[in-house]
Amino acid sequence: MKAKLIGLAFAALAAFPVPSPAGDLTFWTWRQEDRSQYAQLFAEFNKLHPDVKIKYEAFEPQNYGTVLSTGLAAGRGPDVIHVRAYGGLEQFSKAGYLLALEPQAVPELANFEAAALSSTSMRSDSKVYAVPFASQTLGLFYNTEIFQRLGLKPPTTWDELIQVSKALKEKGVTPLANGMATAFMVEIFTSVFTGSFYGPGFTPDVLAGRATFEDPRYVGALAKLLELRDYLPQGYAGVDYPTMQQLFLSGRAAMFAGGSFEIANFRRQNPNLKMDFIAPPAEKAGGAQLVSLFYDGGYAVNAKSANQADALKLVRFMATKPFGDRFSALLGNISPIKGVTIEDTLLAKVSKLNEQSVPYIMAVYFRFQDPTGSTLLQGAVQKMMGGGMSPGEVGAELTKGIATYYPPFQKR
Amino acid sequence: MGAATRSEGVRNGLIQLVLLVNALVMLYPIAIMFLSAFKSTAEIYATPFALPQAWSLTNLTTIWAETNFPRYLLNSALITISAVAAILVLGTMAAYAIARYRFWGNEAIYLFFLAGLMVPLKLAIIPLFIQLKTLGLIDSRAGLVLVYAAMGMPATVFILTGFLRSLPGELEQSARIDGASEARILWSIMLPLTRPALVIAGIHAAVPIWNDFFFPLVFVQSDDYKTLPQGLTIFMGEYNTDWGVLFAGLALASLPITLVYIVLSKQFIAGLTQGAIK
Amino acid sequence: MSWRLRLWLGFLLAPPLALMTVFVVYPLASAFSYSFYEWNGLARGGFAGLENFRLVLFQEPFSTWTYRAFGHNLIVFCSLMIVQNGLAYLIAFALLKGLPGHRFHQVAVFLPVILSTVIVGFLWKLMLNPIFGLVNQALVAIGLAAWAQPWLGQPTTALGSLIVVNAWHWIGFPVLVFLAAMQRIPREIIEAARLDGAGDAVLMRRVIWPLVAPATTITVVLMFIGSFNWFELPYVMTGLDGSPGGATDVLGLYFYRTAFGNVTSGLQDFGRGSALAVLMFAFIIIVATWWTRVLRRREIEV
Repeated sequence: MKAKLIGLAFAALAAFPVPSPAGDLTFWTWRQEDRSQYAQLFAEFNKLHPDVKIKYEAFEPQNYGTVLSTGLAAGRGPDVIHVRAYGGLEQFSKAGYLLALEPQAVPELANFEAAALSSTSMRSDSKVYAVPFASQTLGLFYNTEIFQRLGLKPPTTWDELIQVSKALKEKGVTPLANGMATAFMVEIFTSVFTGSFYGPGFTPDVLAGRATFEDPRYVGALAKLLELRDYLPQGYAGVDYPTMQQLFLSGRAAMFAGGSFEIANFRRQNPNLKMDFIAPPAEKAGGAQLVSLFYDGGYAVNAKSANQADALKLVRFMATKPFGDRFSALLGNISPIKGVTIEDTLLAKVSKLNEQSVPYIMAVYFRFQDPTGSTLLQGAVQKMMGGGMSPGEVGAELTKGIATYYPPFQKR
Repeated sequence: MGAATRSEGVRNGLIQLVLLVNALVMLYPIAIMFLSAFKSTAEIYATPFALPQAWSLTNLTTIWAETNFPRYLLNSALITISAVAAILVLGTMAAYAIARYRFWGNEAIYLFFLAGLMVPLKLAIIPLFIQLKTLGLIDSRAGLVLVYAAMGMPATVFILTGFLRSLPGELEQSARIDGASEARILWSIMLPLTRPALVIAGIHAAVPIWNDFFFPLVFVQSDDYKTLPQGLTIFMGEYNTDWGVLFAGLALASLPITLVYIVLSKQFIAGLTQGAIK
Repeated sequence: MSWRLRLWLGFLLAPPLALMTVFVVYPLASAFSYSFYEWNGLARGGFAGLENFRLVLFQEPFSTWTYRAFGHNLIVFCSLMIVQNGLAYLIAFALLKGLPGHRFHQVAVFLPVILSTVIVGFLWKLMLNPIFGLVNQALVAIGLAAWAQPWLGQPTTALGSLIVVNAWHWIGFPVLVFLAAMQRIPREIIEAARLDGAGDAVLMRRVIWPLVAPATTITVVLMFIGSFNWFELPYVMTGLDGSPGGATDVLGLYFYRTAFGNVTSGLQDFGRGSALAVLMFAFIIIVATWWTRVLRRREIEV
């Protein structure tokens, strides 16, 4: 009872909305780099709603969650919030900080695929809490100039990948830029190369409890990663994210396993780089080449916003095709809105690749409770690539950790 | 120093050598930092330890164009100076009371102050934010000053108490016999003797405040009140950090406080010799 | 005690105490209280008693992480005592001699302290980079290529590398503290010892060491507290997860990602984070208090 009173007092304190003049919205995001592009997007919005002024505030990405949590907890959050997807969203929606977007209020929700909407929905009530903003695809970048110069074809099977890597190494080019020092890139690296090996049937089996991460399909896929060690940069255990990027950007490495979010980033840092993005190699000739897919977040409305009507207007605008088109053009990201026209050839290609994909499994399904699948995977694969763990042990550690809260793994 | 014998000369020579190596180890990376301010991120990774190919000022112009550098610098200076002043004044008062007087609760109060040192204060960010909001101090320099002052006190009290305790008790006694008031004793006798400790405590407090970006990030949104390190976080992107610009910015940010230290260290030496002579 | 004295003490203590209470103690107490509740993301749920503490101390995998992080902090403390405080004492003595150029050295040794940890972390990441890094290049140049390794990427060398970098960054401070204390020793004592034929080693051990006890107390206790609250340097250099594979995970990192989540992998749980902080606090305050008492007994008035 006392706890309830304290909780109520807490909520009451947080219930005071920030007074902002009607017609003014604050928008918080972690995308500091996109300030001018969002200014243009908001200008488009203002053509339809000239009386709504939008204030754009960006925060350093690593601490954005903390700043947002603190602001919301104290009742001083923004009106429209750029949020992460899946578990990252639930942290805020569970606490009631986000406004549930009902189909009546936001009919534009019909513009999204089911998978996109589920990324910004809360599992417990199946309501959508944010309008998805971008999808990210994980695959293989390669430097077309180097490949051309050395007469190599981009690999479509694993054996081709190994052959190409050997050839590159002989010519003094590091085949793959990836290193193991930055944890989240370890997860991306894993997903890129194992997807085609464990195949599209694996994830549904895991979700239904018919398989765990000790399944031979998954462990076998992990074992393949060990074969790539010879083709990673020297001292790869200590190669971190910026170093990886620089190796690829400077042409010292010919391939980079990463996400489509790098496209805009690479272009900005080295406009002369001639690169292409392909699906990861298949197990055998004719096999499926599967990219990994996930949705990166969305735009949500603060449940305690003083200006909810305008906030909804903005969020609805950000769910329309015109916004999606401009968004993809300006920010180099794939908007998940159906029927979006993507003019950029590389991005359009990536968008097409999404049709043959597996979900980025840990981020999508196992980041809802601690220990998250991501945390377990990142640390375990780091150890595996350093020789401290076998693929079977990695699978076991993942299963054991996730089983502490995941019923389908528990009955085994 | 006495007559220098041959072996003493050799030993001193060795010590000088060690000190020189030490100075090299300390200063070389700092030199790299300043050189990198003139390089782009790509160049930093390509040739991190070479001289800049073209002493390009792009980084500096980027900082000037994309951030409100002079304003941030002013804010940082105001906040740091005010906070350190508050810390030294209040910290000395508390340390003096604890170190030179016996009273019930002395040790408990000492521990009370020390407790502030022993916990990652980031833990309290949400209640602290609510506290500041209740006082209307969110998005203000005063709010930051008060928070930093409170956070800097424990270490200052700790350092000053340590030093003050080691001073002989006779100092005050003779002054009291002469009829001096407690305030006078503090001001004229004890304070001058603690000058080196004050300098140490001051620097220990000032450096983290000057370099901090976390608390301003959470408490300050208006561009008018942002501090320098906070302003520089704009270059820490989600997928790439503009290291060239960051180096330039942080190198510039380190200049004021370096100058302050160099000036203070002269003071410091003067203060030390004064303290040793009774 | 006269009322005038009481007033004076009140005047001295009230403002600092008030400031501390409002901005540190009260928020901290509130935050500590969070550890007794169940947290659902950012929503505070029902009273949970000691459940969060149980999770952190006894429930796999959280307990493994807790003890692993604690173990790393212990290693950090012991190593830094030698590499940072121990070396600082020697350097301070070298500076005490007042050899030509000592003012320059005094400034040089303190400059890294003034730098932002962000820049120090990145600078040293560059130096230790397995591909571009100066350290490995230098080792190869002097023929020790076998020693060139990915310092920050291997579980065996990562923590040690961070410790060395930390010493580089902060050694200036204990040097300053020791030097200040050494310079307060009356000249006569040192000269008397020299006249008795004491060499440098004896001087350092028998004469100066006992007399700089207050400085020792300060540096040891501050180092103890700093080692267990260590956060910024590992955060910048190896990341919030304590890469590689948790080899550089320390309580500060573990606390932050538990309480505030980690964008790229974990979630926030304020209850567990607070519980961790409470435990860290309890440990530090008990040990630091005991240690301060022990060290203070050595302090003699000079």
